[in-house]
Amino acid sequence: MILLIEPDLVLAKIYSNALNAVGYEITVMGQAQSAILALDAQLPDLIILEPQLVGHSGIEFLYELRSYADLQNIPVLIHSFVQLEAFNQSREVLRTLNVVGYLYKPQTSLQQLITLVQTMPKLAIK
Amino acid sequence: MERFDSRQRLLIAMAEQLKLPLLQIARTAEQAGTSPSFQQSNTISSTADIALRMIDGYLLSILPVQDQLPLEPILVSAVLQDTAHRLSKVASDYNCQIEVSISGRQAPVMANRKNIEIAYTLLLYAFIQAQENPVTIQRVLLATHKTSNGLEAGIFGDQKGINNEMLRRARALCGSARQPLPFMSSSGGAGVFIADNLLQAMNAPLHIAKHQKLNGLAATLLPSYQLQFTKL
Repeated sequence: MILLIEPDLVLAKIYSNALNAVGYEITVMGQAQSAILALDAQLPDLIILEPQLVGHSGIEFLYELRSYADLQNIPVLIHSFVQLEAFNQSREVLRTLNVVGYLYKPQTSLQQLITLVQTMPKLAIK
Repeated sequence: MERFDSRQRLLIAMAEQLKLPLLQIARTAEQAGTSPSFQQSNTISSTADIALRMIDGYLLSILPVQDQLPLEPILVSAVLQDTAHRLSKVASDYNCQIEVSISGRQAPVMANRKNIEIAYTLLLYAFIQAQENPVTIQRVLLATHKTSNGLEAGIFGDQKGINNEMLRRARALCGSARQPLPFMSSSGGAGVFIADNLLQAMNAPLHIAKHQKLNGLAATLLPSYQLQFTKL
């Protein structure tokens, strides 16, 4: 199961439909708090996160996620409108937060997203 | 952001905001493209993708990240091949044939990957749109050749009137005239100017060049001597 945290409803629908179509079970959440609650119900194999959220930011979500022992090993793929350089977090910090990859949303097609999700180990941030 | 006035900050905010509807259009069209009943979706998707790259290019060219622009060794030939592939669908819509001409083996150059990719994408798009006669197939050439100063990489086409004076005047008229590049664009020619800014940030501004009797705009990029496996 993949937990997709995407604040825009239209995009959330497009991404979940595309990932669904290739066989992934998707749970969509629009906010950090609801995403944390969703994790209590079922642990995902992967979290796809847009850090620009309404309310608590995705970075806050990551820190909270890593504060729970049972949630520490879930890989997170950042899929964002924000360029990687614009995050104030260093790549080292993102790695310690178990962020396994970063995709710049405007330049990532649905097919690229699907392909990269299917080959997760190769997505490690260098 | 302190160095921008309120109008510029509003423009930056608008550019960021525009990404969302364009992305929605691009991905909706991409998804619809799997259905044979919606043949035009590929065009919609690729056009929206170019618009997104133009916005990114604009933001890259003005935001403070340019102050410490990281350069890395890059193979220009690979960038040009990717660019040609990326815009092949758009080119066919404009009845335009893209060719890539890489002369000999070339060493990597020092450039910022994002800057150079977006710059050549916007420049090629401008040349594709600039076709004078949409009935006959016209050639647009992406080419590189070695010069004494480095590696010259540019886009070349059949357009008449591309000369140094025209480019100088166009730069002076950018933003103040509706058609600063009348030989290429019926509009503001923003793509060319954004490409110029992105390349200037790497000390490689656009200049007039010729290749195989075609006129064009090119940038001279400095080779990466550290990774030079082939002699320039």
